[in-house]
Amino acid sequence: MKTLLAKFGLMKSKTIILKDNTKEYLRTHKSKLTHILSQIIIYLFLVTIAYVFLYPILKMISLSFMTSADLVNPEVVWFPKVFSFSNFSVAWRVLNGSVSLVNSIKYSFFLAIFQTIISALTGFAFARYEFKGKKFLYTILLLSFIIPVPILLITQYNMFNSLYQQLNWTGVGKGLNTYQSQLIMAFFGQGINSAILIMIFVNFFKLIPNDLYEAGKIDGANPAQLFWHITIKLSLSTIVVVFLFSFVWNWNETYVTNMLVGDGIPLFTNQLGKFDSLFGTRSTDPSRPDETSGMQLVESFKMAATVISIIPLLLIYFVGQKSFVQGIEKTGITGE
Amino acid sequence: MAKNNTLKNLTATSNIENQNKIAYLFILPWLIGFTVFVVYPFFQTIYNTAFQITREANTLVYTYNLNVTAGNFGIAFRNLYFFPQLIDFVIMEATYVPTIIIVAFILAILLNTGVKGQSVFRVIYFLPVIIMSGPVIGILRWNGAGTLLDYEKNIVFKMIMSYSPGLAEALSGLFSNFTMVLWFTGIPVILFLNALQKINVNLYEAAKIDGANGWQILWKIKVPIVKPTAFITAVFTIVQLGTFALNPVYYTIQNSIYTSAAGIGLASTFAFIYSLVVFGLVGIAYLLLGRPEKVKQVTLSSIQRLNMEDIAKRRLKQKSREVVAE
Repeated sequence: MKTLLAKFGLMKSKTIILKDNTKEYLRTHKSKLTHILSQIIIYLFLVTIAYVFLYPILKMISLSFMTSADLVNPEVVWFPKVFSFSNFSVAWRVLNGSVSLVNSIKYSFFLAIFQTIISALTGFAFARYEFKGKKFLYTILLLSFIIPVPILLITQYNMFNSLYQQLNWTGVGKGLNTYQSQLIMAFFGQGINSAILIMIFVNFFKLIPNDLYEAGKIDGANPAQLFWHITIKLSLSTIVVVFLFSFVWNWNETYVTNMLVGDGIPLFTNQLGKFDSLFGTRSTDPSRPDETSGMQLVESFKMAATVISIIPLLLIYFVGQKSFVQGIEKTGITGE
Repeated sequence: MAKNNTLKNLTATSNIENQNKIAYLFILPWLIGFTVFVVYPFFQTIYNTAFQITREANTLVYTYNLNVTAGNFGIAFRNLYFFPQLIDFVIMEATYVPTIIIVAFILAILLNTGVKGQSVFRVIYFLPVIIMSGPVIGILRWNGAGTLLDYEKNIVFKMIMSYSPGLAEALSGLFSNFTMVLWFTGIPVILFLNALQKINVNLYEAAKIDGANGWQILWKIKVPIVKPTAFITAVFTIVQLGTFALNPVYYTIQNSIYTSAAGIGLASTFAFIYSLVVFGLVGIAYLLLGRPEKVKQVTLSSIQRLNMEDIAKRRLKQKSREVVAE
């Protein structure tokens, strides 16, 4: 009996010690616990927001695989019962895919090349040289960013229109129906978001140490050589960033393209914008007309077309995603 | 010696002149483009507003018309579409821009706490910037993918609805496109994150030693430091929302160019009024965020010096107590 009591007492004291221990643990590790708790909350929040960001894209991809039966089936929310790829072939036909893809790539590529070269030249002048009116020019360069597009575009449109008429350069494949107007503007440094691209170059070129240029000058290099051998060769990564941004922005640009190019050349963006009206004439498969005629326009086709039109951009993003983020950081507009 | 100096001066001046010319050479294409495609169109479009412009045999015929009622401005004010669209645009800017800035700032702060997988989140948040084009957003919106919450059944929303329908309408515009609103935070998050990462960590340490908690650090250190970034972000977002391809004002302007009755003069007037509104919005952003703050600059060294003095005093006190005890 005594031993039993003693055992009981021991147990009691042990539980008290345990209790004290946990209290002590809680007291000493309070900051650590709150840290873990706050981390969990932060993760929950970030993941929720990420879900909201990706929701339209995921929904779009899921819808693009659905047959019309799956669309009306209430059981199907995310995963279609049958993954149908026929939506994509229809969408490809409606978008006039093989032509639009080549056009879109060609068009964005040349515009981006022009923009990159001119932005680099302008950026070099602003970063390296002191000249009269530099501050004024740089300020209006930055201010030009906030001028809305329409106020410039109306007169630009008239200018190009009368220019082509004077040159007698109108008709199919000429004048306002091709993208040369935009190429001309890009060549003179007035493409889409040119101010930002120039700013990225200016801020990067400023980081190149002056000693290199001094050494180059001593060796007898002229400014063109300094520009090519020092600036360009040292800033290849920045050039890639600017090129990618310009490519993507030109690809996504629709307003100026609508005015200056119109229906002249099929691009992914303008074909997608007119998807509904194009569907009636283009959806039928020429090789099997009876099977696909009288097809209904359902959202799967539209979603498939949207997926097709952003796949090239997604590929570019996943190859160069680091450069994109660094590019925005390189604008340097957050500090200084 | 004197000769040497003059020689130096001569070379120096010639060098500067030389650089001047070279700089202009580098800048020339951009300068030509800027004059021809920005400065001239800007003033030409404003000049257009005073004329009725018709296209006759492929040439533009300008007829002076600055009548109050029959002129371009009179027609613009009586247009059924333009002003309602413009008001919608202003409401959109007024609700979207603050939301975008606040959400981007919160996301940047959370990402800056050193969570693991920061780069993964950054990649996700930046993704929309790459794929966001007019038609894509148009289709996603048409599909209702932007709506996430069933907000119209919410009790709070109903309360606001009964209290002020106008506010409810603005809120509904915000929530029905909430995902699309979030999609505009891609670049702002990166800008805020970059600004936060540039803050010297010692500043937080010093504040903590002085007994500041996280909340105080947020309001007293982080917010004032990122305020200039917030201004840049606001301007950027205002411009981005304007060029957002679904901006109805753009299409009204574009359509009125082609219609013979209205013509280029009216389109120019629309564009001019619209530009004034955008400049006004940027001006408001400047008044709210852009003005430099009149805060006494507290340098790190001064904080450290104060701390050192504090510690030294405490030690002295402790020592004197010990002496007394002995």
